[in-house]
Amino acid sequence: MQDLLYFSQQLINGLTIGSTYALIAIGYTMVYGIIGMINFAHGEIYMIGAYTALIAITGLATLGIAWLPLVLIVALICAMIVSSSMGWAVERVAYRPVRGRHRLIPLISAIGMSIFLQNYVHLAQGSRNVGFPALIDGSFRFGTGEGFQLSISYMQITIFITTLVCMTILSLFISRSRIGRACRAVSQDLGMANLLGIDTNRIISATFVIGAALAAVAGLLLGMYYGSVDPLFGFIAGLKAFTAAVLGGIGSIPGAMLGGLILGVAESMTSGYLSGEYKDVVSFSLLILILLFKPTGLLGKPEVEKI
Amino acid sequence: MKMSVKKLATAVGASVALMAAGQAAAEIRIGIAGPMTGPVAQYGDMQFSGARMAIERINAAGGVMGEQLVGVEVDDVCDPKQAVTVANRLVNQGVQYVVGHLCSSSTQPASDIYEDEGILMITPASTSPEITQRGYELVFRTIGLDSMQGPVAGEYIVSQNPNKVAVIHDKQQYGEGIATAVRDTLRNAGVEVAMFEGITAGDKDFSSLVTKIKQANVDFVYYGGYHPELGLILRQARQADVNAKFMGPEGVGNKDINTIAGEAAEGLLVTLPPSFDEKEENQDLVAAFADKGEDPSGPFVLTSYTAVQLVADGIEQAGTKDPFEVAKALRSGTFETPIGTVQYNQAGDMESFEFVVYEWHSDGSKTPVN
Repeated sequence: MQDLLYFSQQLINGLTIGSTYALIAIGYTMVYGIIGMINFAHGEIYMIGAYTALIAITGLATLGIAWLPLVLIVALICAMIVSSSMGWAVERVAYRPVRGRHRLIPLISAIGMSIFLQNYVHLAQGSRNVGFPALIDGSFRFGTGEGFQLSISYMQITIFITTLVCMTILSLFISRSRIGRACRAVSQDLGMANLLGIDTNRIISATFVIGAALAAVAGLLLGMYYGSVDPLFGFIAGLKAFTAAVLGGIGSIPGAMLGGLILGVAESMTSGYLSGEYKDVVSFSLLILILLFKPTGLLGKPEVEKI
Repeated sequence: MKMSVKKLATAVGASVALMAAGQAAAEIRIGIAGPMTGPVAQYGDMQFSGARMAIERINAAGGVMGEQLVGVEVDDVCDPKQAVTVANRLVNQGVQYVVGHLCSSSTQPASDIYEDEGILMITPASTSPEITQRGYELVFRTIGLDSMQGPVAGEYIVSQNPNKVAVIHDKQQYGEGIATAVRDTLRNAGVEVAMFEGITAGDKDFSSLVTKIKQANVDFVYYGGYHPELGLILRQARQADVNAKFMGPEGVGNKDINTIAGEAAEGLLVTLPPSFDEKEENQDLVAAFADKGEDPSGPFVLTSYTAVQLVADGIEQAGTKDPFEVAKALRSGTFETPIGTVQYNQAGDMESFEFVVYEWHSDGSKTPVN
């Protein structure tokens, strides 16, 4: 019983962190699916989302507004607007001018953008940690007496449910809406979609905007969960999310979700049953193994040779 | 032509050295090397203030073996290249003793020059263990090493009679070094170390680690590393109802941990160097600083004072001004100083440098634990 509780606790820890990887991974996977480039500045967009949400929450608090649902919705909307405009601007400034050149050029441009945004926030907000108020506090507890108690915090539940809801909405949007259909067309063949009258520039911008908006959701949730933000907030998270996207099959949206969850659970099980030192060793070995047997990732489609 | 210029330079150099040697007969020159300008100049001010005060007070009390001390102050800007330049300048001025440098990165290259030239050096501020690990004969310090806090923390934990202890670190030189020292101290005292584990610096999610700590049922957790990670661990541990006591080194003892951990920082234990200016036996000295309008509370003021005093005491005990003899006297003697009783080991480190256990509070203040 004790062991089962411990296992469940580690599983919940893994699923929580995995769903946040998945939310961030969407941004990587959508951009890759459509224009075949890796947007390394995406982790920074997520960090900016967290900062914006914090600024909004602090602003509302000075105005004396403390009704939780209102605070959360306003913070979320502010974060999504700022992050989305940032995602759009990054694409216009750093990626569109170099689109269609050699593969390396957009890649270097993306790394440069990431460094620029990180240092910009360093300058504008200072390099120290800033406290983030814990708006959703408390937890469910299972198991009684002296033994190990399983605890699931409301925040963990919120993160998991929000991720599921966002993923469902996004999948519906991609499969049912007009823009979604255009997105799929562009990802299949950019040149042909253009010939058929789809404004590909607009679709590519939309991809960046959607990815950035989801990153902003993750920024708000994780800012509250961890209780503080700093300018390096997005670096490791971005790296892990990128790994999750590759694991699940880059370009595939359900793949990003699956990859995130697998990575999160693998990490928490390794540090739970082996040692925290082997956490990254195990998750990256897993990545290599999967790519050896399935080079396109778990749910990735094999690249069709275009003639 | 080139040759003659070189010869001339050598001749001038030699005569300057001779002149300096002539002066040294009447007085004892001590080089004081630290940053007067640059980004860490405020620490340099502490160093110069302490050293000047020591020189004044020793001279007022009759000097050393009847001779007066004279400070030769140089600015190394805390820059390793500049440190080498000023070290050479001190060599040319016939200085036989140096109090400095401040930054470990400056002390290291400068000490190579002093050791080669037979100059005794005491650094009042450099804590990098490497400085005294090179088998040098003339290098000393009046400050603790990064690695000295571990045993202090370990002994404190032992004194609390915990059942099981977890030792966590961030896999970096500073954190893992201290954590290893804590673990060894605990094991030698027969305390069970249930976990010894590294985390990744920069990580945000420690829920798996916290769950493991909870499962291991430890009542004490030691963390070797800096505040960003410990702050998050504290916070996540509090959320998961972990009731263990947490402890960390100097690197976690600053106000940023309150920003990150919030309420969870209350009751955290931290090892820090004591406030020497609050010691009762130093009140006379503190008053002397106050008379000059200077503040002795900075971490390097009284360590610099002590460094100058040790040079003077060393010369007295050796009965000669030969730096090698003075170094031997420092290694064999016991000295009463404002920072406590100083005894040196073979490497040139103090046998013990006091670290005090403080309890941290959620408003960023701290109180000593007895």
